[in-house]
Amino acid sequence: MGTPNVTIDPLTRIEGHMRVECEVTDGKITDAWVSGTLFRGMEMVLKGRAPSDAFYVAQRICGVCPISHGHAATMSAEAAMEITIPNGARIVRNIIEAAQYLHSHILWFYTLAALDYIDPGKALEANIADTYALAEAAGTTPSNFKAVQDKLKGLVAGGQLSIFSNGWFNHPAYSQKMPPELALIGVAHYLEALEMQAEASRVIAIMGGKFPHFMTSLPGGTAWVPTQEKIDDILFRLMRVRDFVWNTMIPDTLAIAPFYTEALAYGGGHGNFLSWGVFNRESLEMKDRYLPEGAIFAGSLTAETSNPEAVKEYVKHSWFTSPTGLNPAEGKTVPEFTKYDVNAQYTWAKAPRYNGKPMEAGPLSRMLVAYLRGVEPVKAIVDKALGALGAAGKPEVLVSLLGRVAARNLETAVVADWSLEWVNELVAAVKGGDVKFFTESTPDAGAGAGLWEAPRGALGHWMTIDGGKISNYQICTPSTWNMGGRDDDGVLGVMEQALIGAPCVDPERPMEAARIARSFDP
Amino acid sequence: MAHEDRAFSDQLAARGVTRRDFLKFCGSVAAMLGLSEAMVPTIASAVEQAAASKLTPAVWLDGGLCTGCTESTAQATNPDVGQIVLDILSMNYMETIMYATGDSAEAALKETVEKFKGKFIMVYEGAVMTGWDGNALRVAGKPSLEQIMEVAPNAAAIIAVGSCAVDGGWVKAAPNPAGAIGISEYLKSQDVATPVINLPTCPVNPEWIVAMVVDVLFLGKLESGAILDELDEFGRPKIIFGQTIHDNCPRRGHFENGEFVYKFGSVEEAKGYCLYPLGCKGPQTQTNCPIVRWNNQTSWCVESGSPCIGCGRFNWVDAGAPFLDRFRQIGIGGGNQGSGYDPSNAALLAGGVVAGALVVHGLGMKAAGRIGQGPATEEMKDHDRKRMKKGGDK
Repeated sequence: MGTPNVTIDPLTRIEGHMRVECEVTDGKITDAWVSGTLFRGMEMVLKGRAPSDAFYVAQRICGVCPISHGHAATMSAEAAMEITIPNGARIVRNIIEAAQYLHSHILWFYTLAALDYIDPGKALEANIADTYALAEAAGTTPSNFKAVQDKLKGLVAGGQLSIFSNGWFNHPAYSQKMPPELALIGVAHYLEALEMQAEASRVIAIMGGKFPHFMTSLPGGTAWVPTQEKIDDILFRLMRVRDFVWNTMIPDTLAIAPFYTEALAYGGGHGNFLSWGVFNRESLEMKDRYLPEGAIFAGSLTAETSNPEAVKEYVKHSWFTSPTGLNPAEGKTVPEFTKYDVNAQYTWAKAPRYNGKPMEAGPLSRMLVAYLRGVEPVKAIVDKALGALGAAGKPEVLVSLLGRVAARNLETAVVADWSLEWVNELVAAVKGGDVKFFTESTPDAGAGAGLWEAPRGALGHWMTIDGGKISNYQICTPSTWNMGGRDDDGVLGVMEQALIGAPCVDPERPMEAARIARSFDP
Repeated sequence: MAHEDRAFSDQLAARGVTRRDFLKFCGSVAAMLGLSEAMVPTIASAVEQAAASKLTPAVWLDGGLCTGCTESTAQATNPDVGQIVLDILSMNYMETIMYATGDSAEAALKETVEKFKGKFIMVYEGAVMTGWDGNALRVAGKPSLEQIMEVAPNAAAIIAVGSCAVDGGWVKAAPNPAGAIGISEYLKSQDVATPVINLPTCPVNPEWIVAMVVDVLFLGKLESGAILDELDEFGRPKIIFGQTIHDNCPRRGHFENGEFVYKFGSVEEAKGYCLYPLGCKGPQTQTNCPIVRWNNQTSWCVESGSPCIGCGRFNWVDAGAPFLDRFRQIGIGGGNQGSGYDPSNAALLAGGVVAGALVVHGLGMKAAGRIGQGPATEEMKDHDRKRMKKGGDK
């Protein structure tokens, strides 16, 4: 076991609180520890409450992906109560979930991650005319580049840099070849993306009342009843977001990626992937989902059928005294802080394993599973991207930092197209007289799991009902899969392993480590 | 128009925001603050002047949170979050969006606190985590309580955003495993006297944050001390939290007429009837959601077909769960806070306030037998029998 000599705490531009420690030897990361530094106790709060309350409360575990948590909570209740939701409710939920994916991925790429690849200080040096020329050549949308540059100049002149205070300007890990004009395009689109992620959220607000934290996907279906006017409104907004994704976000990704091709060589990690699948078809089966379930193990290019019973959560290195190695269906949560010690306990996250293996969750898992299962349009868009990277027919190159970034942005494009398809499906259903959106049920006992995918990866809620009340509740989030620490055998967690072997050119400012950590969108 | 003002307008125009949009925004701020239309030009010029002069420094601390209030703030438009943090405030520390990370981020915080002592605004999101001597939340290698104490005593004012920051929110719900409390309560226990403006609901509505920033900073009410007169006994702006949702609900007429939704996804829902039988907490919840609405005024909970779950109430989860069960006893002077868990004293007090509001608007209904046992026009439905059978209805 190594000794940490580089620390990032707090890791900013993520959801929640996280600490990353690395051992850096001769400019390379040789060991790593990832710590979740917040415990709130959602699983304990839900015990003893009504099954339908889980939908309202559990989604508040995450303000960035409350839709997915709300859906997983509701699905766990529906599984326990043996409710089959009406087809209309399925379509409505797909659209709400898709709007959240669009919101979340746009926000991640521009607001959270872009500053790891684009030095905003360089935008001050850009020539405005050249910036327009570059935007045209890159096939991305033009903005009022002068106004953006003036805004940055104003911040510098005013002496207060606001959110740019103390940033890692001129960091040697930034591509030295990237022209300042591309940096200015990036900053301009960073500001535009703020409006586009909000536009995607408004679709959720129409169907769910507000975002974050929506109100309508309760056990049994949806409380929202579509009207012609509201469907028009949704369609208009989704089309606007789709235009942004295809005409700005994807070209920007393709323009920036060539400056960081070295990131295809590190950041991959264990190479095991898990997806529970997301976006239901009429069968409501996990294998039939638009992005289907599946498990991939390192070295293999096949997706196996996933099995929730293979999940066990270990706590030897976490601040819990509950038994280690339990399946979430029988899981327990008994918190007890000891002290922060990387050689003993060092995190509030449990360490989930699947058949004993650490599994990566997220867009890369979903895209690889879908690709290996031959799902269109995933296969077509991934093949196109592989061709652009000079790796045609080699999806394994995606098991890297750059691959993880690319997978998320490609998924955004796929989901943007599907979202419009689903609105049309809803219109057709309503026109065809399919106007049932809710099924009632009043169960007293049962148990079930809601297995779904948040934008950042595989998500499971397990609910047991006894005497009409929740008697046990367990949640295994994507961030637990990705940023959980070592298991009882000392095997590194997913993010920890992904950090190993990455460069660290400036140990005072460990940019590469921050990039890898953020690439999981924790 | 002065040159500086032009610069601000140009910035807005570059973002596709017309002067008309901007004045509309100032109008909605005025409305929210209970000011007359005549104040719109004053607000506009105050914002423009503020944008043209030195930005007001601010820091945003993350407690035991889900980041939903940051997210909610990112959904604001006119001004959007980019304008809030770049044109109006200098947000020198805000974990979720700031460029700096790790030690560099903490240095930015320290520098702001030292350089602008007594002059910066502190926003606090999430619950204060006291469990395990504050180790339920560690930031920068130590309990986050230490970060709070380094910053809060030096701030000019604190805006507590969201129910978690106000009173611990859902994190404090029984059994409150991590010792969550609100920022006011924590600061009081540490003898810190910095004024706190409480903005509950889960998440916070960003329009309220913007209104408070305009009110406190640009209209000078912090300096003059006038802001304190505008807050209620719980530190909430009276103008925002002085009325119940029920008071302003567009479905209120249906309540009066005894037209109710008994089943989700039903014809009654399509007609926009009252959601009270499905557990709506509108009568107990004091916010102006029906007026301000959410996500750039796109919609709000009741409009989407869902009963209000009362996320702006004190101790809202314990006070309101089970959320789909109706409180049949909208009694006067108590009995409306639900059961299951003991509501806090604050919740009981709030119950009194709600009861007061009900007295004002509801006496007629009481006389007509419409509250207490439910509206007289409302017969016991299968729906109710089912719920009563399983002991859910109160």
